Amino acid sequence: MGNSEAVCYLQSLLDRTLRVHTTDRRMFVGTFKCTDADRNIILAETYEYRHPSACVIRETAATITNDSEALEDAGKDQFKVNMTSRLIGLVVVPGQHITRIELEETPNSLLA
Amino acid sequence: MISCDITDEFTRAASKLELGQLVRHKCFSLFDAVGALEIMDSKMDSGYLDGGENHAQALEDDYDVMRELRPEEVLGIMDQLLCHEMAWHMGHPLSQTLFTSIYLDRLLWPSPVSFDDARFGRDQKQDARDAEGDRPWAHLVLRVYCLALVKACDLVLARVTSECYYEEEDFVTLLFNRSLLSVFDLDHFYPVLDRAVTWLSEQEGKIDVALRQALVDRLEFRRNFLVALGQDVVVTKEPFKACLAHALRIEKSIPLGEPVPDAFSLKIQRRLASTMPPRPMVNISAAAAMDHLRRFCQDAIDTQEILDYNGPYNLSVWILPLPPFSRLSAAVGWVNSDGEQVSVQALMSRRPQPSVYIRALLQTFIASDRKILGRVAVQQCLYDDLAELVLPYSPLLQGSIDDVEAPSDPRFQMARHMEGFVRRASQPFVDGFRTACLNRCRVRRMLCHTIIEWDNLQVEAEELDAHLRTLTLEAPLMTPGGPPTYSYPLSSWAYHEKLRQLRLIIQLGFELTIYSPEEFPGMFWYLSHLCSTHIAHLDRIRTFVTAASTQPQPKSKHRSGERKRAFKRTLDRLDRHTTHLVAIEALALALHALYVLLDRHGLLPQTRSCHAYSNSRLRYELRMKPFLPILLPELVPFDIYEREAALHGDSDAVVLSRALTSVGEARKAWEGVLSHGAFLPPSSPSRREAAPPSTGDRSATEEDWLRDVKDSLRACIGASIAIGTVRQALSMQAGTRPSSDSAVGVDGGDGGGEGDGRDLGCVVPFRVEIPEVGRKGRWHACWAVPQVSEVPTV
Repeated sequence: MGNSEAVCYLQSLLDRTLRVHTTDRRMFVGTFKCTDADRNIILAETYEYRHPSACVIRETAATITNDSEALEDAGKDQFKVNMTSRLIGLVVVPGQHITRIELEETPNSLLA
Repeated sequence: MISCDITDEFTRAASKLELGQLVRHKCFSLFDAVGALEIMDSKMDSGYLDGGENHAQALEDDYDVMRELRPEEVLGIMDQLLCHEMAWHMGHPLSQTLFTSIYLDRLLWPSPVSFDDARFGRDQKQDARDAEGDRPWAHLVLRVYCLALVKACDLVLARVTSECYYEEEDFVTLLFNRSLLSVFDLDHFYPVLDRAVTWLSEQEGKIDVALRQALVDRLEFRRNFLVALGQDVVVTKEPFKACLAHALRIEKSIPLGEPVPDAFSLKIQRRLASTMPPRPMVNISAAAAMDHLRRFCQDAIDTQEILDYNGPYNLSVWILPLPPFSRLSAAVGWVNSDGEQVSVQALMSRRPQPSVYIRALLQTFIASDRKILGRVAVQQCLYDDLAELVLPYSPLLQGSIDDVEAPSDPRFQMARHMEGFVRRASQPFVDGFRTACLNRCRVRRMLCHTIIEWDNLQVEAEELDAHLRTLTLEAPLMTPGGPPTYSYPLSSWAYHEKLRQLRLIIQLGFELTIYSPEEFPGMFWYLSHLCSTHIAHLDRIRTFVTAASTQPQPKSKHRSGERKRAFKRTLDRLDRHTTHLVAIEALALALHALYVLLDRHGLLPQTRSCHAYSNSRLRYELRMKPFLPILLPELVPFDIYEREAALHGDSDAVVLSRALTSVGEARKAWEGVLSHGAFLPPSSPSRREAAPPSTGDRSATEEDWLRDVKDSLRACIGASIAIGTVRQALSMQAGTRPSSDSAVGVDGGDGGGEGDGRDLGCVVPFRVEIPEVGRKGRWHACWAVPQVSEVPTV
């Protein structure tokens, strides 16, 4: 991949929604605005997602165990807990802290 | 939503970029990038967890909201919350104040669906069962207190955001994606508050008497505060009075409480939706918080004086066939619109300025729904103002289209034109009052815009005046040798208002410390220049009013008495304006002369360096920028300004005698202003009887006004002391070096006294200090009076 090709590819991602995972297990979902050679990524209108804390998981587990219906739905040892999220706006995620980058695609854009 | 992993592609593509090369959106600039929060940077990233913290600890506080609380602790937490609430009122964001409370966090997040849902222990199942049963009593009381507090914040926020305010300057309205229980109306809160109070009163013997009373006081305060804040446009002061009484009781029992610092945590910021970096908790002292609360209540009470005047006289409104507003105001010795301006300005000139809520409240009072004070049409208020200033007992203001139906009748046409004028003028007229409720910096800024509006209005009014006099058949005033002149009442009225605003811009410039000391001579001269223009304008109005008063009188005796009173009222008001302006002019002239002397002898603190790009011409241009588009009064050209400001050609002795005369005049004039009192006395004898007997206790507005004038008088005395000291210095110098007096006077003339004539400072070491606004020795914010003192020789 040459420089112009790389620029071309990255430009195609501008204004798309990226999910950027960081070393501290957070995920940032926002609109891709800018990047550079160090893979620093600037996202606009970003939401921060965080894994639920251990105590929330414990409590949910307790609730589910008490609630037999939910237990049946969820299967035996698996259940879902929502990630907590909050809007934090315009952020720059330094390249060295990025562990994973995902591109969000709506079914519409797949069709197109 | 589907997502696909592009880590590898992205990384590979990014690595192909050259150092410093950016791939960016075309609308995304470096400037935007600077505003981005850097993730994983502890100073920027509010969600950053320090390496040492484990995940659970970092987000969840160890503090257990369900733990038992002792009464002292409940009291302590309540007072801590009150401090945070006041800090928010003062303008700090919720994230640094109330939203650091773990208890509030539990109540508000996740957003409660029902009112009962807003509990501390929501995630605990058993809570549903014993909602109010055997739960710790402390939680019951604290929960109710918290709920009422949050609702109070909701009401404050709603009031402030409904009026004009400035985000971050006045107030931070960010809610960080939390809701302040706004969906629950007040009826939800009173029963729980009452139940908690009843419950507390049943706990005789279980809780210490003093503590129990302290808790009851706090709950009752909360109840009253909700009542007070929950009032709509019609606001009474009783609930605020009750709040004030409770606030005083709360203040006394603060020492009984025991603060619980652990119940507040900055970690909550990690979970708030915020585009800002993490910021420290704002902790204000209980004394500061109580001070703010007391002033809040007092200001709210005083604000209502404006409305209060209507209270006892409501009955008479229906009996007397006069426009309600002017009669009511007359009955209480209150000039209508001008008096209102006195009130608004007196209240707003309080130091520190009333809080943003009070200012929003006042804006609501002054004008909502095209009504002034909720009952008087803007048109009537404007007519009253015109009648009082330029058109006493004028046919222009008496006709109405409803009375005269024939379109050819001049009275019909007059009424039609006047209605058009009112439509045109009412917005700037009402805005004038509302502007006074903004923060002081914004007042000045807004005035710089409104003077242009008034300038246009004056031009339009002039055209209308020319047309109207063909209808009123106004006889011109013939001056010997001059052309016939007409009164131009409407444009005179607009010009008067514009001159007032121009003067305020200069005076606020001093108050807001916009001018540097080396500009003082010039700006004080400009202030005096504006005043003398204004005085001349008032003289012109007075000439025409006096001439009009000699016109043939109406036949009916009742009418003629009414007419006489109307003219007297106008002349009284003109005299008041003149006295006030003479006082300002004289003091400005005295300070001008004083600063010229200090400048000539290099005693004035200099803020600019000799290498600075700025010079006096550029600075003058900058200062006069707001005045540039104004047609009248014409801008003084720089050369004349410079000559006048530095008093070129006048020797020190001449300048000194000018200062001495002016300061003497100023003192007399300010005493004259003081003797006039704040309000125009009622014009009719019958109304004077209707006025409440003066019991000696003045209204708060009047107090404010008096304080303001007395401060000006103090500034005046301060100026005369400073002038005296300078005179002494000059005579000492004349004694040591007889020839220097005139030499200094000539030297000091050029270049604004830069570095020349320092000999006075050398011969007699004197020091000049200009106390800052708010400091001791600064008697009045608008009057920058220097303190000249001899430096003790070592």
